[in-house]
Amino acid sequence: MTLGLAALLIAVAGLAMALQYRMTARSLEAEQRALLAADLAAFEALYEQRRIPALRAAIAYRVEGGAGAARYLLLDRAGKVLAGNLAVWPEAISPQRVAAPFQVAGQAVNLPDGRYLASAVELPGGFDLIVARSSDGRLQTLAGLRALILWVLLGLSVVSLLLARLVAARVLGRISAVNTVAEQVAAGDLTARVAVQAGGDEFATLEAHVNHMLDRILHLNQATHRLSDSIAHELRTPLNRVQQQLAALPADTGAAQEALRQAVRVFEALLDISAAEAATGERPGLLPLDLSALAAEVFDLYAALGEDEGLTMQVEITPALQILGERSLMAQLLSNLLENAIKYCHAGDSVTLRLWAAGDQVVLRISDTGPGLPEELRGRLFDRFSRGERDQSISGHGLGLALVQAIAARHGAKLSLPDSADGQNVEQNKGFAIQLSCPKLS
Amino acid sequence: MQQTSDSSDTTDRAARPRILIVEDDLDAARAFEAAVVELGAEPVVMRNFADGVKAAGLADFAVIIMDRMLPGGDGVEAIAKLRAAGSNALVLVVSALGRAANKVEGLEKGADDYLAKPFDPEELRARLRALMRRAGMVSLDNDVVVFGDLQIRMKARTVHIGQAHVAISPKEFELITYFARNAGEVVTRMQLLEHVWKLHFDPQTNVVDVHVGRLRRKLQEVAGRPVIHTERGVGYIFDPVRPVAQAGAEPQVTGGAP
Repeated sequence: MTLGLAALLIAVAGLAMALQYRMTARSLEAEQRALLAADLAAFEALYEQRRIPALRAAIAYRVEGGAGAARYLLLDRAGKVLAGNLAVWPEAISPQRVAAPFQVAGQAVNLPDGRYLASAVELPGGFDLIVARSSDGRLQTLAGLRALILWVLLGLSVVSLLLARLVAARVLGRISAVNTVAEQVAAGDLTARVAVQAGGDEFATLEAHVNHMLDRILHLNQATHRLSDSIAHELRTPLNRVQQQLAALPADTGAAQEALRQAVRVFEALLDISAAEAATGERPGLLPLDLSALAAEVFDLYAALGEDEGLTMQVEITPALQILGERSLMAQLLSNLLENAIKYCHAGDSVTLRLWAAGDQVVLRISDTGPGLPEELRGRLFDRFSRGERDQSISGHGLGLALVQAIAARHGAKLSLPDSADGQNVEQNKGFAIQLSCPKLS
Repeated sequence: MQQTSDSSDTTDRAARPRILIVEDDLDAARAFEAAVVELGAEPVVMRNFADGVKAAGLADFAVIIMDRMLPGGDGVEAIAKLRAAGSNALVLVVSALGRAANKVEGLEKGADDYLAKPFDPEELRARLRALMRRAGMVSLDNDVVVFGDLQIRMKARTVHIGQAHVAISPKEFELITYFARNAGEVVTRMQLLEHVWKLHFDPQTNVVDVHVGRLRRKLQEVAGRPVIHTERGVGYIFDPVRPVAQAGAEPQVTGGAP
C-alpha cells in the first residue's frame, strides 16, 4: 500500500521533470534557430546591398574574429570556396533556392567537429551559402539536465522508500495493537483494552473508540448476566412461597407442585439458552472435557430407560476424545438428545449413539429408527417452542433442541441433520439423526 | 414418616445440633426453620450477609443453610470466609440461582450441597438430614459395611446378602453406596442424580427411577424381601432390615457397623 503510493508519487515527479526537460530542450533549440536565422538575415541583407565582395569580407571578418560556435562557407558557381571556415560543403545538406527573405529552417548536420544546426541557401547569381551553429552547447546542457533528473529521481525513490517503511512500521504497529485486542475479545476476553497513545491523531481516536466500544460490550454483557440472575430471583422467590404454601396444605397437591416444577423448567431452559448464547465464543468456563466418558455416562443413564420402553439401545464410542467444554452443558445436550430419541420412538425401534474422531473434529451422532421429523417442523426444528402437531400428546416444552443448539454454539460446534439412521430408512422417510461436530482438543 | 425416631437418633449423638439459617426472604426462612425443628435441631436465623458470617464464627453449627442473593453479598462468597474463620459446618446453599451452572459454581466454591428454589419441603428435609448425618458421622471408609445380612465390600465393590452374591453394575454399586450412606433416610431422585451421576439438571423423565428399580429388583430377588422402599412422591428409603410385615412403621435404624 504505502509502497504503491510512494511509487505513484515518484512517477508523478518523474513526469513533471520530463515535461520540464522537454520544454527546456525546445526553448534551447528555438534560441539556436533564432541565432541561425539572425545570421542568415544579416548575410542576406549584406548581399542584397553590397553583393559578394562585401559578403566575403563580412564572413572573413567573422571567421578571423573568432567565429566560436559558428561555421560559414560561401561557394561560387563553380564550387570554389570564396569565404568561410568550413573546408568542404557537407553532403547531408543541399542549398535551397528561395526567394528573399531567406527563411530556411535549420537542419541538423554532422560536421567533422561536432553536431551543428545549419541553413544552406543558393543566393541569386548561383552562390551557395551555408551558415551553421554548433548544437554541442545545447546538447551538453540537455545531457546535464537529464543526468540531474535521473539523480533527483533516484534520490526521491530512496527517500520515499525509507519514509514509506518508517510510516508503515508505525502504522502497522498501531494497527496490530488494535488487532491483537480484537482477537483477544473475539476469544472471549472482554476486558482486553488497547493502550491509547498520546498525540491525538486518528489512530489515538480509533484506539479510544475501540476501547469505548469494548466498555459498552462489557457493560451490556454484565447487564445481561445481572438481568437473568434478577429474573431467576424475582420469579423463583414468589414461586417458592407458592410451593411452601402448597406443601403445607392437607390435600394432595402433587399435581400442582409438578406444574410448578414444569414452569420452572421452562424459564430455566430459556435462561440457559440465553446464557449459552451470551457466552458463545467466550473461552472462560470451558475446560478440557473427556466427551467419551461423559457420553458413555449419560448414555448409560438413559439406556436403562430406553430398554424399559422396549427400545434397542446401541452405543459405539471411541474412547478418550477430549473437547474444550462445560460439563454440565454437554451433559444437558446429550440428555436432551437421548430423551428426545426415547420419547418419540416406539417399542421395537432402536436408538444409537456414536462418537468418533474425524480429522480435527469430534463427531457425536444420535440416530433412531423412530417416526422421523414431521414435515411441518423442517426448517424451524431449532426454534424455541416449536413442536410437531402429532406430538402434542408427548410431554415437553419445545425448548430442548433450541437449548441443544445454543449449547452447540457455545462450544463452537456445528449441528447437522444427516440422512436419517445411516440411510437405512430413508426410503420410508423414517428415523431421525442429529449430528454434532465439535472441535477436538489434541 | 419416621422423623421422630431419626431425630432422636441425631439428638443422642450431640444434644440438639444447631443449624444456622442465613436468608432474607421471610417465607423461605420460615420453611427452613420448620424443617430444622422437625429434624430435631435448633435453628438460628440471620437476615443478611454480614450477620450470617458473624454468627457462623460465634457458635458451632452442624449445618449452615445459606441463601445467595443476600443483602450485602452472595452467600457462596461467604463460604470461603467461614472456612477461613475456622468453621467446619457443612453448607447447604438454597438459592434462586438454580441453573446447573449456578450449582456447579456453588459446589466448586465449597458448598456441600445446593438446592434450587422453589424447593419441595421434603427435598429440603432429605438434604438437611443427609448433611446432618454426614456432620455427625465417622467416615464410611470401612471396607465392609453391614446392614443385617447385607454386606457391602467397598474395596472389592461387591454386595452380598447372606452367602449370595448380588451381581450389580458399577453404577449400581455407586448407587447402593450412596443409599448405604443415608440408610434409613429418605433419598430423593434429585439427590441421586446430583450425587451419583453428578448431573445438575432436572430431566424431563424420571431416568433415576429405572436404575433404582433395577437395583431394587436385584436386591429383592436375592434377599427375598424389599431392601429399597419407595416413599411416594418423594424418593426412596434404603432399609435392608425393615420388617416385611409392617413396612413403613417403626424402623429399627441400624447404622453400618463392621
